[in-house]
Amino acid sequence: MKKKQQQAAVGVVKAELEDGRGKAAVASSMVAPAALSPLSETLWREKAAAEFLGDVSARLAWRDLTVTVVVTGNGGGGGGETTATQEVLQGLTGHAEPGTMTALMGPSGSGKSTLLDALAGRLAANAFLDGTVLLNGRKANLSFGAAAYVTQDDNLIGTLTVRETISYSARLRLPDKMPTEEKRALVEGTIVEMGLQDCADTVVGNWHLRGISGGEKRRVSIALEILMRPRLLFLDEPTSGLDSASAFFVTQTLRGLARDGRTVIASIHQPSSEVFELFDRLYLLSGGKTVYFGLASEACQFFAQAGFPCPPLRNPSDHFLRCINADFDKVKATLKGSMKRRFERSDDPLDHIMTSEAIRRLITYYKNSQYYFAAQQKVNEMARVKGTVLDAGGSQASFWMQAFTLTKRSFINMSRDFGYYWLRLIIYIVVTVCIGTIYLNVGTGYSSILARGACASFVFGFVTFMSIGGFPSFVEDMKVFQRERLNGHYGVLAFVISNTISAMPFLILITFISGTMCYFMVRLHPGFTHYLFFVLCLYASVTVVESLMMAIASVIPNFLMGIIIGAGIQGIFMLVSGYFRLPHDIPKPFWRYPMSYISFHYWALQGQYQNDLKGLVFDNQNDELPKIPGEYILENVFQIDVNRSKWLDLAVLFSMIVIYRLLFFAMIKASEDVTPWVRGYIARRRVQRGKKGRGGAHRGAADRSPSLRAYVVDAGDDGLPAEHP
Amino acid sequence: MELNGGGGGGGWAGALSPAARYAESGGASLTWENLTAVLPGAGGRATKKLVQGVYGYAVPGRVVAIMGPSGSGKSTLLDALSGRLARNVLLTGKVLLNGKKRRLDYGVVAYVTQENVLLGTLTVRETVTYSALLRLPSSMSKAEVRRVVDDTLDEMGLRECADRNIGNWHLRGISGGEKKRLSIALEILTRPRLLFLDEPTSGLDSAAAFSVIETLRQLAVDGGRTVISSVHQPSSEVFALFDDLCLLSSGECVYFGDAKLAPQFFAETGFPCPSRRNPSDHFLRCVNADFDDVAAAMKGSMKLRAEADFDPLLKYSTTEIRERLVDKYRISEYAMMVRNTIHEISKIEGVIEEVVKGSQASWWKQLTTLTRRSFTNMSRDFGYYWLRIIIYILMAVCLGTIYYDVGTSYAAIQARASCGGFVSGFMTFMSIGGFPSFIEEMKMFTLERQNGHYGVAAYIISNFLSSMPFLLAVSWASASITYWMVKFRPGFSYFAFFALNLYGGVSVIESLMMIISALVPNFLMGLILGAGVIGIMMLTSGFFRLLPELPKIFWRYPVSYIVYGSWGLKGAYKNDLIGLEFEPMMPGQPKLTGEYIITKMMGLSLSHSKWLDLAMIFVLLFAYRLIFFLILKAKEAAAPYIRVAYTQFTIKRLERRASFRKTLAMSSMSKRHNQPSHPMAVQEGLNSPLPY
Repeated sequence: MKKKQQQAAVGVVKAELEDGRGKAAVASSMVAPAALSPLSETLWREKAAAEFLGDVSARLAWRDLTVTVVVTGNGGGGGGETTATQEVLQGLTGHAEPGTMTALMGPSGSGKSTLLDALAGRLAANAFLDGTVLLNGRKANLSFGAAAYVTQDDNLIGTLTVRETISYSARLRLPDKMPTEEKRALVEGTIVEMGLQDCADTVVGNWHLRGISGGEKRRVSIALEILMRPRLLFLDEPTSGLDSASAFFVTQTLRGLARDGRTVIASIHQPSSEVFELFDRLYLLSGGKTVYFGLASEACQFFAQAGFPCPPLRNPSDHFLRCINADFDKVKATLKGSMKRRFERSDDPLDHIMTSEAIRRLITYYKNSQYYFAAQQKVNEMARVKGTVLDAGGSQASFWMQAFTLTKRSFINMSRDFGYYWLRLIIYIVVTVCIGTIYLNVGTGYSSILARGACASFVFGFVTFMSIGGFPSFVEDMKVFQRERLNGHYGVLAFVISNTISAMPFLILITFISGTMCYFMVRLHPGFTHYLFFVLCLYASVTVVESLMMAIASVIPNFLMGIIIGAGIQGIFMLVSGYFRLPHDIPKPFWRYPMSYISFHYWALQGQYQNDLKGLVFDNQNDELPKIPGEYILENVFQIDVNRSKWLDLAVLFSMIVIYRLLFFAMIKASEDVTPWVRGYIARRRVQRGKKGRGGAHRGAADRSPSLRAYVVDAGDDGLPAEHP
Repeated sequence: MELNGGGGGGGWAGALSPAARYAESGGASLTWENLTAVLPGAGGRATKKLVQGVYGYAVPGRVVAIMGPSGSGKSTLLDALSGRLARNVLLTGKVLLNGKKRRLDYGVVAYVTQENVLLGTLTVRETVTYSALLRLPSSMSKAEVRRVVDDTLDEMGLRECADRNIGNWHLRGISGGEKKRLSIALEILTRPRLLFLDEPTSGLDSAAAFSVIETLRQLAVDGGRTVISSVHQPSSEVFALFDDLCLLSSGECVYFGDAKLAPQFFAETGFPCPSRRNPSDHFLRCVNADFDDVAAAMKGSMKLRAEADFDPLLKYSTTEIRERLVDKYRISEYAMMVRNTIHEISKIEGVIEEVVKGSQASWWKQLTTLTRRSFTNMSRDFGYYWLRIIIYILMAVCLGTIYYDVGTSYAAIQARASCGGFVSGFMTFMSIGGFPSFIEEMKMFTLERQNGHYGVAAYIISNFLSSMPFLLAVSWASASITYWMVKFRPGFSYFAFFALNLYGGVSVIESLMMIISALVPNFLMGLILGAGVIGIMMLTSGFFRLLPELPKIFWRYPVSYIVYGSWGLKGAYKNDLIGLEFEPMMPGQPKLTGEYIITKMMGLSLSHSKWLDLAMIFVLLFAYRLIFFLILKAKEAAAPYIRVAYTQFTIKRLERRASFRKTLAMSSMSKRHNQPSHPMAVQEGLNSPLPY
């Protein structure tokens, strides 16, 4: 066993040696297999024990990679939409090997993220890829979950501790067969490896809970992705927004992960000196073209050869970015007075030449340099060797395990997040006390007929309305879902089911407390079944609203729009519920016929009126007139069909819960599958129309996995793809 | 202006240090000596020294950078120098402006905060112009103001983007660097001699950061201003632009002096900067105690392994390095030089310009400018009113079709009442949709108010005036749709009453939401609170429970009278029903008159006219606005008292305790503000280009 392990590690070192240059720096740091961290040791062992042995590492090579984005906009005056294609990346060649960390660098808008997405197979639907991406000499197909991808924003559940976050994620994805002990060991190993021991029991933090620092959050995000022990790790700007110490720590950890035999590729924006020194390879981009690809330690030499030596006391990466950031031309153009003179007097060669000129020179120089030829050679070599097909990552847990874990996690989150349900519970109690005191002991007087009706409609109309307060939490939930979904952690169905089940206890609690208070303060129709009906009806209504809001949140991730739309829909439902306008008076087409039957208020009110009035006898306007039975009121005042059982109304409400949940499921599925497909189809059509005659159909566009994102290329100041979901 | 302006003293001029020579050239020179800021711990927590015995100076024509790891006291020092220290921090030591002690209060000096608080819908030029109109003397002619604005735009290099929108959650706007320069432009409009900036480069890429600091230098060198800026992690180019450097670590000064000499000092102390390293990265690396944690954590995860000797600095703990540096600096010639320079500067009799505090514009000018600005913002922000107008119109159409041609049957009595109830209740409810915009506006107000740009009254009145056209449009549009579709009573005066009633209701709710946004600056809390309050208002307005049946205590007596809904409904019923006749319940019985319905069925009295009810709504509107005013005033007025009381309390406590010196690790309280705040804060969500 030990031997195999050594072999594997030696293989890594060899691969590095083959590279031909600068091995001393890198290889020295990976001397002995004993250097493997505990987690990675298990990784090797397990893989080595698997039936087929050999190299399980990931070698990624890409050749002549060109990415074209279809831009739709109203650019340039003329009426109607104009379609343009823009090459975001142009003919990139490079490779990444196990045991090394490759940094993609460049000014904002140079295509770092696009390259990362292209390599990870996450390009948006309206971007087209030309060229080849080879993983272990085979055409790469990295769909959901095959490679680990850490995004820039840490969408974590704020109320869980670090350990909980990681162990839930482990349970969601590791095979069910794996013993709990082993899972726990793996989680602990990951925590240690990511240096999270000190904060393992601290909550992540959200808007009201003070949690871990930004650097720690980033490391938790990385920890989640390395749980499945991927051989290939992509990171989008892992250091953005971190201070130098945290950034250093994160990068150091990544370097450690790479040293264990993983292939790490990260886009990095502005590394500090310490961080830059940790990179093995550097891929420098400007305007979608390669400026430099090679060992990070040799980049300075390259720049010096090209005529732009890095001055002393300067961070090399700052210098490189200074050379290739075309924005500096703009800055220089706005200078005036003494600053302009200072520039003119300066002896820095960069201050005398336009950045665009410098970029042009560097790109030409690179094209003819040994670095470029070495890279090409290496890529050809790697293309020839057909290696292992890496098994896809993604979740290996069963559906029930996923659903169960998700339910538990979601429940814990809800119980700890003050804004999710507790705040609403307080508001519900306050509002219920108000209702209770206003309708206190309503009685059976003549005027109480209307009061009972109003009370029911207020409870079912307005109290359910307050559910919109949970909307922000829903949106947060959806964000976490989207991240995990993109990484293939679990299925949509498991999410929808878990969300439904975990919310149930809270909704029951809320509705039972407020329903009970309301029922007994107002003294509605006495009797246990009447009480039960009232509370159940309230519970069903609140759950329906909740499901409705969830469905909205899955489509509209913006608070303001979501709340306004949710409020509008509920307003209309309330209007046709039969209280504001009596059922028979509601105009038949549209409002009465589909709408009032779709409205859950309608069913709730129908049921509750029956529940409350049937069997009661009310006083008439004056004592001489006969008393009025409840049935009479139901039929003549509220215009309700007394033949239908109130329980049927309740059943309709419950079936609505199911329908809305299904709708929620369908909405997610639709936005996941249909939208990218449509977007891609439109883009393809446009490209074909635009490129007629130019040839070159875009390979790979059709069989790519759908992505939830679309590139938006703006001709504005940034002039580059910003990502929008 | 002459550099050797020492006069006839011969050798004296040569004795002046370079910095002191700058100071002589006029403008504002700031010196600080032995500055210590203490945060008294509340309750059981120990007191913390945020800044400890710091010396330094800032002279015209030079840019001072305050640097340090997060939590080192950068912001505290900056706040202490600019007189903006948080209320509960005790400050000792001497801060002299041109050799004289003076209060640098809000509005005296320019202070650019880290966050850009700007109205996203305005263009760059508009933003600057409105700010100029708000603060420059009203006596200035239009042309003069325009000249000042143009000069400022030129000076800040904002000419090219002058006519572009700043951008908000749905509009794409100018870049981050341009936003920052715009924030600076707003502060230099009144030509202050002294400019403070809190981390102006945070969140900017290298080119944008460079352009911002470059502009600052230009302001200092060409404009003869004194610029003090804290900066977090400058890139090499940016660092090269600073003249003086103040390096802090855990509140202590590690280095103060010429930025060019700092590498030399570090080399002398035994920590030379490697040649392929940005000096500022190196300095921070040396003094950032977080690196100790990193090292410890890495040791724990057994990651150091063969790489242990990778960083020479890891041989020492950062705490050791820091201590050595601090001790060395204290006795170094650099410190001596600084003290000498401070001494020299404080002897120079600078001309103290009387800086006028706050705004020089007349109240009337402020009001009109604010109203115009606010109106422009509202008309361009899609989410402020337009979205709501659309929703209102849709709702009105729904309402109109549901109650289409309501008629005068017996059932119509109930229908008319419900329609009125729904309009007054639910339609006004939709105002909560404007809440995020209110919060944005409150942020803007708080900032500008702190800077003394205008008064509370001007703000409130302008807010009322600028929203009026929109609210009128909203209520007029939805009222006319509903009115004609439902076929309420024909006659213009009836329609006008209906529309005005709706307008009154919407305005009152709007004012209520403004009050809530002044009290709760959090979107979620505000929304829930607002919805709760409106819900209770609806309940007591006489629709869900008839007014005479409301419990007398509390609900009937104060509440139903404070609530606009009861007046609105009373008015609406009278407007709609009086003079109409309805079918009776059973055919053959006499027709029911409107008066009968109102008095008998609704339990309302007819003793006063509907116009009085309408007037009451406007009285309420006025009252709510007054409450809003009082709350804003109270918030401002209460602040200093709390501060004084708290400080006195602390001093007493400190006297009792001997161990005043005890310092604590700063890390616990510090790390916060360099982190991006949580996306949950919806204010944030709205600033960012939409969905995640």
